[in-house]
Amino acid sequence: MTRRVMFKEILENLLSLRFVLSLVLVICLFAASGFVFVGKFAEQSADYWAETNRNLSALREECSNALYRAAFYRQTIWREPKLLSLCAEGFEKSLPNCIRSDAFASDLPQVKGRGNFAFPHFSDIDWVFIISTVLSFVALALTYDSMSGEREAGTLRLMLANTIPRYKVLLGKYFGAMFTLAIPLIVGLLVCLIIVIPSKDVTIDAAAWLKILAVAILSLLYLSIFVFLGMFISSRSAHSSNCMVLLLMVWVVLVILLPGGGRIFAEISSQSPTQVELERRLDEVGKEIWDNCEKFGKNAGYMSSDPNSPRNNPPARARLKTALTNAANQVRDDHHNRLLAQALTGRNLTCISPVAIYARASELIAGTGINRCADIYQQVREYQTALREYVRTKDLEDPASLHLVNPELSATRYWRAISHNPVDFDTVPKFQERNLGLGQSLQLAIWDIGLLALFNIVFFTASFVSFLRYDVR
Amino acid sequence: MIWKIAKKEFLLNLMTFKFAVGTILCMVLMAVFVPILMNDYEQRLQKYNKLVADNEAELRKVRVYKNITPTLHRPPAMLSVFSAGLEKQLGDSARIEIGTIPKVDAAPTGDNHYLSIFPVLDASLILKIVLSLLAILIAYDGISGEKERGTLRLILANRTARHQVLLGKLLAAVVTLIVPTTIAFVVGVLVLEFSPMADLTWSDWARIGLMYLASLIFISAMYNMGLLFSCLANRPAISLILGLFFWVVCAVVIPNASVYTATRIRPLEPKVEVDSQITLLRSELRRQWIDIMVATAGNRSTSQSDAQGAFGNGYIRKFNTDCFEWQQGLHPAMEPLRIKYADRIWEVESGYLKTIWKQRHLADNLSRISPIFSYENATSVLAGTDLASFQYFVSRAKAYRDQIVEYIRSRTDNFRSSSYWTPFSKEYASDYGDGKREAPDIADHPRLNLEDLPPCTYRLDLAESVRRAIPDLALLVFANVLFFALSFVAFMKGDVR
Repeated sequence: MTRRVMFKEILENLLSLRFVLSLVLVICLFAASGFVFVGKFAEQSADYWAETNRNLSALREECSNALYRAAFYRQTIWREPKLLSLCAEGFEKSLPNCIRSDAFASDLPQVKGRGNFAFPHFSDIDWVFIISTVLSFVALALTYDSMSGEREAGTLRLMLANTIPRYKVLLGKYFGAMFTLAIPLIVGLLVCLIIVIPSKDVTIDAAAWLKILAVAILSLLYLSIFVFLGMFISSRSAHSSNCMVLLLMVWVVLVILLPGGGRIFAEISSQSPTQVELERRLDEVGKEIWDNCEKFGKNAGYMSSDPNSPRNNPPARARLKTALTNAANQVRDDHHNRLLAQALTGRNLTCISPVAIYARASELIAGTGINRCADIYQQVREYQTALREYVRTKDLEDPASLHLVNPELSATRYWRAISHNPVDFDTVPKFQERNLGLGQSLQLAIWDIGLLALFNIVFFTASFVSFLRYDVR
Repeated sequence: MIWKIAKKEFLLNLMTFKFAVGTILCMVLMAVFVPILMNDYEQRLQKYNKLVADNEAELRKVRVYKNITPTLHRPPAMLSVFSAGLEKQLGDSARIEIGTIPKVDAAPTGDNHYLSIFPVLDASLILKIVLSLLAILIAYDGISGEKERGTLRLILANRTARHQVLLGKLLAAVVTLIVPTTIAFVVGVLVLEFSPMADLTWSDWARIGLMYLASLIFISAMYNMGLLFSCLANRPAISLILGLFFWVVCAVVIPNASVYTATRIRPLEPKVEVDSQITLLRSELRRQWIDIMVATAGNRSTSQSDAQGAFGNGYIRKFNTDCFEWQQGLHPAMEPLRIKYADRIWEVESGYLKTIWKQRHLADNLSRISPIFSYENATSVLAGTDLASFQYFVSRAKAYRDQIVEYIRSRTDNFRSSSYWTPFSKEYASDYGDGKREAPDIADHPRLNLEDLPPCTYRLDLAESVRRAIPDLALLVFANVLFFALSFVAFMKGDVR
């Protein structure tokens, strides 16, 4: 019986104007998103490879000069444009996209590139945007009269006059709405993929396909919340127009206002750590170490460019400089963590709304957005350690070197603290961003998926109870 | 007759569920979000006040003209509570120096980039979303609902003209929609008024009044659009769906699509090229600087600088006669050159900035098809948070720098006076050089009297804002007329059965 109700619902929906309109709108949006993505991706990839190759060729030159030059070369590491930003762009274009770093220290992530800063921050038309804004709206437009409309038309009492239990009607209507919604969703995704796949810059591997599938399933889970919500409100009220009004207002609050409040929530809940504060902290830490520099050894605070000067104490100097750099790195890491924590707090506070949860979950699965940016910073720090280890091992091969791998360029140059021999560029570790597999991404997103499921259960229960008690006359 | 229809419609509207929900939601949202937004504004204002006070304190410490490098800060706009615009996104400080023309950075100082994952929230978002939806909800069954219920033919069976029915409905709807709009504004203004840090001037009141007016014109435009669909469709459900889809297109699709189209039609030149041109100019300057250094070479070993001057700059506090002569020759040759190169670098930079502005203007013009965008733009212009207000800040900073440069020039006889680079006179040099006298303590160094330093005024002109808001307001009025005319035609030709 459920199946019959479902088929009836699907057929009725398919013939309705709202379905036709939403199908057209959604397909147009998905097609636009595909075209926009292809253009943007080609441009970003070209920029990324130009910058990365420039960086690598400079590194190659430094390697052919001397090992220490390679260690001190300040590389610019760019964030690679990612194919899955098609699914969830996650405001990546206004997030930091490059980090300057050598083997010892790195700057904080910066925003560089050809974007126009005078445009307001907004999300690209990616899948998450279309699904979370437009399709959720379509879900409500399909379900606002599912109970109250039939009640007004008088068909609900006819249906229930038969031996069909209410829950079957409810489930039939739910699946009917979900299948109807799945049509624009699937057609839209296919249209978008058909536009994207032939582009020469794009190759979708198996892992990406799996992630795309996961995002699609997640989208259905998200849309199901709005279907249940629509049915819940529809079975609370006698008039379908009232349901529409209520649902629209709930939609506005959940989809537009609450996610927008993130910045304000973040700024009020914690003060933004400022650049001035960071510089003051760096000064303080540096001064403290300099004041006690003798504790690193005699004459640690002294450096003469003459390697034979008797006052020089290279091991002590290396210890001092390493301590200074480590302390500064620590301060920068703390600052970065505070910046990140502020944004994440704001985001957590917006998670009252399923839209924010859905966006976060799809970003985690697609491996994009703010978490990726934070992760890249972490990976750059790990890369630094690897590069330093490499320098240390290579340095041991040179008997002329003092074997003091330390972050002071002039000392290294004058005293030969690190080897001056050239190294083979191919053996030098290069930065390569790690991509998480689907399993790990899902593990990260498990809480969000759980929350979405919880929203589903809550609204299902609410609609179930309301419909059981619904007066169908 | 119009009045009778309007009165009936008004009373009917007032009793509806949608009106109650819309009004209550508007009120609750304003009451919840405006205090939060106001709190945020107060925090920014405190930060700004502190920065300005620090700047003043530094100015009092100035001992040589070379060190006058104050920073100009952009005050946060109080009305950003109503319309945040680009307020938080664009640079808010400019350092005034001889060698550079302030390039206001793309982001506010110390901005947390990670916060850009959130869209902007302000009171106008609440108004534009909730009230425009309410307008559509009130409009959708205006004609088609009456048609379905059969009351329309009863009305028209009498001697009532069709245009009277339409005008009556429009009048009633506008009066109905004035209620939530007024409540929202009253709540907003009350929060502002009771905030300890807000000080509303008459210009602010005028701006708020104009925003209120803009909101009314906007809502009436959205109502007319809903009315058009109501006249076109036979069933209210269809007119509602049509209206809502049109709304989604206006609110979501058009602003996004126009930005994309603008970036395609008028792409920016890569920043790298601009940067390389600037680097080239800088190295040219450095070469000339080295030439001057060689030409004026003096004995530098007996001079000593400290970073004890104002604004973190140093000045020479110990020197001998040779050094004095060298410095005296150096600055009159060097500073005009730095000023010249600052102007040339500025030309390159402003060329790049112009392409950025042009791209944005193109996107804005394309977005203006959507009344929602026109409204948003009009409010941000009135709140002083739009792009033009920022451009005004940039131009103000440049003008202020020119003033300061001129001031220093006039006070130091075109950089020839030694007061430009040291607080001491030539006699002191010979004393010090001969070792007759100990150098005085830094605390005893004489300070400059900068009472006649030109003050910087940064105030947005109300008349200018109104002038800039007029195109958007005119577009909104045009949207009103257009939608009403179309619905009039549709209704005149429509079948009322």
